[in-house]
Amino acid sequence: MAGKSGRSINNVPESPIKKMLFSWEGILVIVFILVNIFCACFSEFYNLKSLLRQMPVYLAEVFLMLPMAYILVLGEIDISVGSIVCLCATMSCIVCNTGAPFVLVVITALVVGTLCGSVNGFILTRFQELPPMIVTLATQIIFRGIAEIILGSGGSISASNTDGFRLLAGKVGSVPYILFLVVIMAVIFAVILGKSTFGRRVYAIGTNRLTAYYSGIHVQKIRFIIYTVMGTISGLCALFIVSTSYGANTTTGNGFEMDAIAMAVFGGISSTGGKGNLAGGVISAFIIVCLRVGLGQRNVHAQVILLILGLLLIGAVALPNIIGQVKKAMKVKK
Amino acid sequence: MSEYVLELKGITKIFPGVKALNNVQFQLKPGEVHALMGENGAGKSTFIKVITGVHKAEEGEMFLNGQKVDFKGPKDAQAAGIAAVYQHPTSYPHLTVAENIFMGHEIIKNHMIQWKAMNSEANKLLKELNADFDATAEMGTLSVAQQQMVEIAKALSTNAKIIILDEPTACLTRSESEELYRIVDKLKEEGVSIIFISHRFEDMYRLASRVTVFRDSQYIGTYDVDGITNADLIKAMVGREIKDLFPKPEVKIGKEMLRVEGLSRVGYYKNVSFNVHAGEIIGLTGLVGAGRTEVVESVCGITRADEGKVYLEGKEVYVKKPSDAMEKGIILLPEDRQKEGLIMSWGLGRNVTLPTISKYAKNGICGEKEERELSKKLLEDVDTKAVDIFQPASSLSGGNQQKVVVAKALSQEMKVVIMDEPTKGVDVGAKAEIYAIMGELALKGYAIILISSEMPEILGMSDRIIVMCNGRKTGELSRGEATQEAILELAMEKGHAAGKEAAK
Repeated sequence: MAGKSGRSINNVPESPIKKMLFSWEGILVIVFILVNIFCACFSEFYNLKSLLRQMPVYLAEVFLMLPMAYILVLGEIDISVGSIVCLCATMSCIVCNTGAPFVLVVITALVVGTLCGSVNGFILTRFQELPPMIVTLATQIIFRGIAEIILGSGGSISASNTDGFRLLAGKVGSVPYILFLVVIMAVIFAVILGKSTFGRRVYAIGTNRLTAYYSGIHVQKIRFIIYTVMGTISGLCALFIVSTSYGANTTTGNGFEMDAIAMAVFGGISSTGGKGNLAGGVISAFIIVCLRVGLGQRNVHAQVILLILGLLLIGAVALPNIIGQVKKAMKVKK
Repeated sequence: MSEYVLELKGITKIFPGVKALNNVQFQLKPGEVHALMGENGAGKSTFIKVITGVHKAEEGEMFLNGQKVDFKGPKDAQAAGIAAVYQHPTSYPHLTVAENIFMGHEIIKNHMIQWKAMNSEANKLLKELNADFDATAEMGTLSVAQQQMVEIAKALSTNAKIIILDEPTACLTRSESEELYRIVDKLKEEGVSIIFISHRFEDMYRLASRVTVFRDSQYIGTYDVDGITNADLIKAMVGREIKDLFPKPEVKIGKEMLRVEGLSRVGYYKNVSFNVHAGEIIGLTGLVGAGRTEVVESVCGITRADEGKVYLEGKEVYVKKPSDAMEKGIILLPEDRQKEGLIMSWGLGRNVTLPTISKYAKNGICGEKEERELSKKLLEDVDTKAVDIFQPASSLSGGNQQKVVVAKALSQEMKVVIMDEPTKGVDVGAKAEIYAIMGELALKGYAIILISSEMPEILGMSDRIIVMCNGRKTGELSRGEATQEAILELAMEKGHAAGKEAAK
């Protein structure tokens, strides 16, 4: 078939550098620099060395942000991840205390996490009408409940053999392993979401699930995979949590899901689905990590840090809205 | 009193970057039904919004009964007796009919809603319209036609003297349209003036005494319906002559591609059988709700049939998901472009390649460059009026959106293409182009199933016509023997009685 009118349709994209400058990620990079300047002024101890030393505690949560970004792009939410972390941490400590080799401990955490995630995925794909918020609220209670039963009356467990966990907390020079792992995982997750067919399909589902389905996309399969991977990564996060605390208790992982969601949303990943990318998510995660380290060094109360993060988040959500209004007002004036 | 109830002069409305209306005029006589026609984007909707006070015109004057008026907002227009009924009823599905009718102007005493008074008042209005449902019915349980009736009742409840109907028949079946015609006639007798926007010539001939045509934001002319022909009108609307609205090519019918045998799904359709050959266009018609869409949805794996078999090129196929159907070469272009066909916020290119991204990918990573090349070619093939492949689908008119949906189907090797209401809400110029594309697809050997409620389109494009009624196939007509009457007879068989039952 020939275009009868011979009309030509442009297919040359605009330069990505220009796009980057005016994007949310561009703003985040500036915020990242500002936050670091602020922290350096605020705390005399704040420098690269102290940052590297103190960041592993907070970095574990950055893992959770990666699959959470996928779930948010789907237009869904998973609030059970904190409980999965708790259950995985508990189980890995138990296995560790039996004297099993550390490899087995790692496998335990990852398998338990994967199983929990697949339970979420199974329920959500088998009963598609159920809202993810409610389903994962239920599993949040269930997973933590199981962990509490296992932990028993003491409510806590410590790892008797910490050699393996010490290994995880190791460093190359002054750079902790976990930072390498976070960066590698972030690149993998970002490339899959941004460049792969899988990622494109995730965006399609998040923007218009019906159209995606009609276009032959395996909507339920993709959802199942993502929730399952969320579980696996929760297991990974649990391992690093145990490697900093050498134990688990009933409050391990409390609120982690919300931190992960906050990092992603602050990074421009809309909770309504189909918008944002992991570059933004990762930058925002590091903004939050730096801010926590910096404020923590001057013994700023944890609650105050939360308050600041909350304000930042509201700002992040409202800003595009405000920019839109200003743009509109300017257009009308013209 | 002046000769006109409503008169607009020299209206110009500017949106950032576009002149949506350029010095247009319009006169409405008392008790007149006045059709407003034009292609999509001609400025009809903007014009209506100026009349109803939603938009304020930059230039121009508006007179109501000879008095100059200046609406600050929709409330002013409502107070002046102007009401609009939109194509998709904007109702609250979980509230009752009475609540919907009186939304915003409830009958109140001491700050309490007077339910009894409101229900009886609503019933009175419904009775005037000969409605067959009660004011306490939940809005969501009504058909589109019934919901539209509620909207009209709502307009009447505000004592509207001018009612604007924006494409009221677009979602209606034939018999429902007849019902609407009757209501409009009745309103006219009561002295209500009506502005009627429609793409269907049938509506205009049946109802209107005069017709005003807009094209490219400009006023083209006002004509008496009695003295005008289809060709004149199309020329006025499109600005050029369309020689052949239905360019059905002579195609040699090939081997059988798809055969459906005894397909049944409880509650939707029963024992439906048909086949379609390569190069053949079959029309699948019947009233809305006859089960047409449901049958093809099962063929394409969107829903599952309880019984029956589907054969593709003589071999039985099992389709469980749309992806199965596409792998085998059957694709459905769904009726609802915005909800099912396209991702409206995405660029055209990504929409086109969505079903086939794996084909260009290397190791799972998208081949964006190839995608861009292919989507450009496909979009140009179907002659999409677009600037670039990155503009969002929502920026296109209905007809061009449909072309993008077709391009999407062409991005892969397909054997059977099923089009569900492909020209719904599409203007006449773009319609002709879509028919031309259908013809070319048939020439290339595709087997095509066309689902449509529009009689001229079914008659004009189909080699064979299959008529359904109440979930059953009631007849099959060849191109030669098909007439409007013959199809209607098959489509209405037992239809009326059952339709009334369903409404209860």
